[in-house]
Amino acid sequence: MSGARNEIQKSMENIRATADMKRNTLFYLEAQRTKKNRGILQHKQSMTMRYAMAVICIFLLAGAGGYQVYRRPVSYISIDVNPSIELAVNRFDRVVSAKGYNADGEDILQHVSLKNISYLQAIERLLQDAYYSRFLNRDSQLVVTVVSEHSDVMMEQINENDSFRALDAMTYSSDTACMAEAHQHEMSFGKYRAFLELSQYDESITVEDCHGMTIGEIQNRIKTCQGHSGSKTTEKHSNGHSGRHGHH
Amino acid sequence: MKSTEDVNRVMEAYADMVRRICFVHLKNRHDTEDVFQNVYMKYLLYEGSFESSEHERAWFVRVTINACTDWLRALSRRKWVPLDALAEEGTVLDDPAKEVLEAVLKLPEKYRDVIYLFYYEEYTAVEIAKILGKKENTVYTWLSRAKDILREKLGGEWS
Repeated sequence: MSGARNEIQKSMENIRATADMKRNTLFYLEAQRTKKNRGILQHKQSMTMRYAMAVICIFLLAGAGGYQVYRRPVSYISIDVNPSIELAVNRFDRVVSAKGYNADGEDILQHVSLKNISYLQAIERLLQDAYYSRFLNRDSQLVVTVVSEHSDVMMEQINENDSFRALDAMTYSSDTACMAEAHQHEMSFGKYRAFLELSQYDESITVEDCHGMTIGEIQNRIKTCQGHSGSKTTEKHSNGHSGRHGHH
Repeated sequence: MKSTEDVNRVMEAYADMVRRICFVHLKNRHDTEDVFQNVYMKYLLYEGSFESSEHERAWFVRVTINACTDWLRALSRRKWVPLDALAEEGTVLDDPAKEVLEAVLKLPEKYRDVIYLFYYEEYTAVEIAKILGKKENTVYTWLSRAKDILREKLGGEWS
């Protein structure tokens, strides 16, 4: 047994890995290591880039989604004197669009920027504007009409504005159906609500007639029809809201 | 991935053994060099750890045998006898050693492994069974048959 072992060992002991074989293999392994490391690095860089792109996409999507939410109006405010202006308000109470519904309204919006501020700030800015103030005289009437699921809250907040109260202005609420109908007639829904109210007393009145009238004139006609002859303030409800909404 | 220090260490420790296992399986130096590199490449990429130096040595034996087998299978050369390798080593071998090696290399492949591992690396049959993933009785049988063949050819100590 040991003799056989000795013979095998003796026969094979000179079979050895040569220096070249070891050196070449070590060189090959180092080259492979470098290649692998570069691959891993590239893979890491690739993964980092992918993560960065994913994060950017998430932000873009979130941003796009957030922007969609931001720009989507949930409430509308019609501000009528003679200038008729409508504000679209998002869920953050920010004005996302403003549109004039007659020449004076369009003209005002050329001078006053009302977008991307709260609707209370927009109303305040409008009332403080010198150009707009020209329409606010003792014979005029400022009427603010709100279409919103939270119209009561919005009207209360508007009525708390000192400038608004000083003008003895009036607030009403309306609805989207009335607003859509008003827009078909190229009229602000605040003025259209007043028209609808007047038309209940005066069947001869038309939308075209109201186009040529200020909101104050329509309000005065309503008062006349209602048989009241007192001052504007006595006509207002205690909280400044109208009990009559523009439903029809 | 194993460190450069580890690779250098196992190169010194197992290079000759890996070379000998390749020698008993493969036809020529080129094949040996390729399989030799493959074995060390497997080590470089091996993520596991070894419990002991014996464990590590057995890993090299098993991986080298498998690498040789895979190499031969890939080349569809399983039936040849690696005498070319012997011819390449002829310059460093004396006649008695060459005769023994020639007899060993003419053994069927499975016998070559057990003869080499049993006589040269001095593994027990139990250890060889574990390394090769065979039953102990199979290893005993292979050893017995391999010794019978060598005894027939070489006589002498094998008788």
